[in-house]
Amino acid sequence: MGSNESSIEQLQDSCLRELTNIGLGHATMALASLTGQNFNMDVPSMSVTAAPDLTCVFTNPEELTVAVSMPFTGDVQGQTAFFFPWASAQRLSRLLTGLAPADLDSIDELFGSTILEVGNILCSSFLNAISDMTGLRMEATPPAVSIDGAQSIVSTLIVEACFQDTQILTLETRIFEESSETLDGRFLCMPASGGLQTVFERLGVAEAA
Amino acid sequence: MAVATPTLVGMAEIHVHQGPALYSCIGLGSCIGLVAHCPASGVSGMIHVMLPEAFKDKPIDKPGKFVDVGLPELVKMMAAKGANTNRLVAAYAGGAQVFKIGADVSSRLDIGKRNAEAVKDLLEKLRIRTIAHEVGGSNGRTVTVDIASLTVKVRSINEGEKVLCVLRG
Repeated sequence: MGSNESSIEQLQDSCLRELTNIGLGHATMALASLTGQNFNMDVPSMSVTAAPDLTCVFTNPEELTVAVSMPFTGDVQGQTAFFFPWASAQRLSRLLTGLAPADLDSIDELFGSTILEVGNILCSSFLNAISDMTGLRMEATPPAVSIDGAQSIVSTLIVEACFQDTQILTLETRIFEESSETLDGRFLCMPASGGLQTVFERLGVAEAA
Repeated sequence: MAVATPTLVGMAEIHVHQGPALYSCIGLGSCIGLVAHCPASGVSGMIHVMLPEAFKDKPIDKPGKFVDVGLPELVKMMAAKGANTNRLVAAYAGGAQVFKIGADVSSRLDIGKRNAEAVKDLLEKLRIRTIAHEVGGSNGRTVTVDIASLTVKVRSINEGEKVLCVLRG
């Protein structure tokens, strides 16, 4: 129990990334139908690092970022979150409501609730797709939005999601708009180590006892 | 005299120096960055704690992760460099709840608040005098320290940069 936090086998690595890929495929489709734009996604990357070493989602740790997170509980627990650099969040808001705040001071309730709803739909699509496919219970909890520096948000998520783990497993994927307009976001999923064995068992890739 | 190289104090890290030093804790959300200084010896140290208490049933991988074991560890490391632990002064910032928009944000684990309370209590117990602190709220913070001038600065995206205090006892 918990002894293999740092030694995810290659097959398990592939499975987790494929699960993420499928889950995010659904989320990306949901985003496309919401906005009427086409989106692409990169291949998910996975890292297992000590919490202190997790690199930032964006190159500048203090970049103004709009993030929406949805923790989940059930057979597996953890955190899902979408990160949008400020300009991307403005674009998202403009696509959905026709309006976007010009700067931090003009952020209004509409913007907050728009981002909250986008996060709700994207994270739920992700969780539902994985839950349907594996039969694992993954229950979404209410989403919340943060508008702050990227690193402040990421570090808070790490602490909230996996505070009992010495190693943090992170699945990261880039989602971006196909057209030349820049809507470029990052998705993070951080499952707590406690439920991973259940996932592997369900997928038939648990290590032989 | 050599120019001090800035020390980035990452999550769960503790760094100590003797003499002029620059420290920074970048992107504190619920975490807290704390700097301590011994005016007698010129020894200083900074810690970036994540959680109020270590888990009773788990080995401690990094003492700097937890307030309850990290602060005493910081004091110990400073003493090893020659600090007089009866004369330490400190300043700290962080412990925010950056997720502020949502129907149910009040039910989220407010680890930042618990971190801030734990730091305050333990500093009192350790008899370390707090010169200034800025905790709570919803802004993520970056803390930078220049030991040469004893200046502690805090910056956030919403409020810009300001001097938190001068670490003078």
